[in-house]
Amino acid sequence: MDQALLLLLDATNYVLVIILVAMGLVIVFGLMRVINMAHGELFLLGAYTLVLLQQAGVPYWIGLIAATLLVGFIGLLMEELVIRHIYHRFLDTILATWGISIAIKQGVVLLFGPGAQSTTAPITAQLQIFGASYPAYRLFIMAVALLVVAGTFYLFFRTRFGLAARAVIANRAMAGCLGVPTRTFDRLTFAYGAALAGLAGAVMAPIMSVDPQMGLGFLIPAFLSILVGGAGHLAGPVLGAGLIGATDSVTAGLWSPVMAQVVVFAMAVVAIRLFPGGLMGRGGPR
Amino acid sequence: MTLSAQFFADRRNRTDALIWVGFLALPLVLGEWEVTQIAQYLTYGIFAMSLALIWGHCGLMSFGHAVFFGLGAYAMSLSTLGMLPGLEGWTSSYLGIALALAVPAVFANLLGRFLFYGRGLQGAQLAIVMLAVAVIAERLMARWPYAGGMNGLMSVPPVNLGLFGADIEIFDPLPLYYLTLFAAIAVYIILESLVRSRRGVVMRAVASDEARTAFLGYDTRAVKLSAFTISAAVAGFAGALFVAQFGFVSPPLIGFGLSTEVLIWVALGGRHGLLTAFLGAIIVRLAENTLADLLGPAWLLGLGLLFVLCVIFLPRGLLGEIYTRLTLPRGTADTGQR
Repeated sequence: MDQALLLLLDATNYVLVIILVAMGLVIVFGLMRVINMAHGELFLLGAYTLVLLQQAGVPYWIGLIAATLLVGFIGLLMEELVIRHIYHRFLDTILATWGISIAIKQGVVLLFGPGAQSTTAPITAQLQIFGASYPAYRLFIMAVALLVVAGTFYLFFRTRFGLAARAVIANRAMAGCLGVPTRTFDRLTFAYGAALAGLAGAVMAPIMSVDPQMGLGFLIPAFLSILVGGAGHLAGPVLGAGLIGATDSVTAGLWSPVMAQVVVFAMAVVAIRLFPGGLMGRGGPR
Repeated sequence: MTLSAQFFADRRNRTDALIWVGFLALPLVLGEWEVTQIAQYLTYGIFAMSLALIWGHCGLMSFGHAVFFGLGAYAMSLSTLGMLPGLEGWTSSYLGIALALAVPAVFANLLGRFLFYGRGLQGAQLAIVMLAVAVIAERLMARWPYAGGMNGLMSVPPVNLGLFGADIEIFDPLPLYYLTLFAAIAVYIILESLVRSRRGVVMRAVASDEARTAFLGYDTRAVKLSAFTISAAVAGFAGALFVAQFGFVSPPLIGFGLSTEVLIWVALGGRHGLLTAFLGAIIVRLAENTLADLLGPAWLLGLGLLFVLCVIFLPRGLLGEIYTRLTLPRGTADTGQR
């Protein structure tokens, strides 16, 4: 019973983490039609910012906010320096952002070395849930993920900012005619997606090994969730991450983590082939 | 005009022939060690040509092309080590090469049938699905004891051209270099004639607008499928030649890392030409060889940034840009865009 409950909690935790990573990705991918292969490295930068600030004696909570803002700013730079030139060349966004990802990863190796850094969680308590003991910090991560999803939905579907941002995406020329500063919205939307990656990295840093390779492990599941769920709607990746994360955790628990990855990726390939637009989507990305 | 005069009237042919002659003459100026190095890079060059065929000419970008390279490498290793079930002890290089062509081709054909037919996957989806396929292949190979698991297979013998029990092992640097170079030239001639044929024109039509090509009555899926299959066979061939020189095959050869590396070579060299992709692979590897020791991790940082700049400003690639200038018919102004 305890085993099953722990498995369920771990699965929920993993699903929510993937949603957290995928959320930033889907904003950039679904809304701006940019495939950001550097998203994993933005995640990495968030984690390293937190580590660096903690080593300097800054409290965790301030580090969390600083990591989010800093990575958001880096996203802004990326948009201005690179992405802006290639909005109309969809496939090239994959290549350019892949180049950025290599550069960021190597930059981190140069500054911090290839080894793993560690950082401490601000909450170390164990909670008793139905008789099973579970780290409270993981529950905090789940709460952050849920808040981010709710906040993003609120921002894009219930505020004037979101309305304008979606208007720019739906019809740039018309939005411009109506007085929406379209370039500003491109920048802000991209920076928002990047900031979410930074937040995710900083939140995850205490419970994983912070090393230069940590980004890729989340990037691929996040991408597959988006493609499985459909990029046309923000709810797509939530569904996709649910399916992918749950299958992964259950297979890993019953078989082995490596085979879980194989099973999940193979399933995702089949799902993408059968529903190219995603389970939630009408036409998919082209 | 005689046939050869006609052939050399085209500046592209003259440039290409000159470059190949350059490669033929290379051992005259280089030492043994460099020749061995370049012989190995020639196999990467063949691999790069296979990617340029589907990417530059057919618009299929793949983040998992090393799957086919790796399959070829494993097929070659297993057969030259005499590990094939039912054929134990039978160590023919010819069989190895045949399998290295056939196994990736069959796999690519089945995968292509699955991915292109039905509703069909578009550009980015294909790229990411191939990425997932590469990760799956790498993980599976690492867990398959028959194929050596994580450690891979060691002491793969060199290519043996002997028939009926005679041994003609190609092991010395010079014969090895020329064997690989002739293989590269053969691949180049076959692929280049494909690219310049009517089929090649249809392939580029699919790359620039698949829907419109389909409306003109072409079976675009069959075009993509055949290009994908041929490309996989060539990649497998490159893998076989590579492993016969390197003597060692392991899961990274089939995985995501090499897949992205070849993507970078081809993008930097120029994906629209076979020869530019080929040279891109060799030059990047040579540069890596000399600069990686000198710069350490900064080399990859520089390569990443160069790659970004190249994607933004020179979509035809660094060499592709030069090549187009060189091969423009005399007196034509460069209009910038093709």
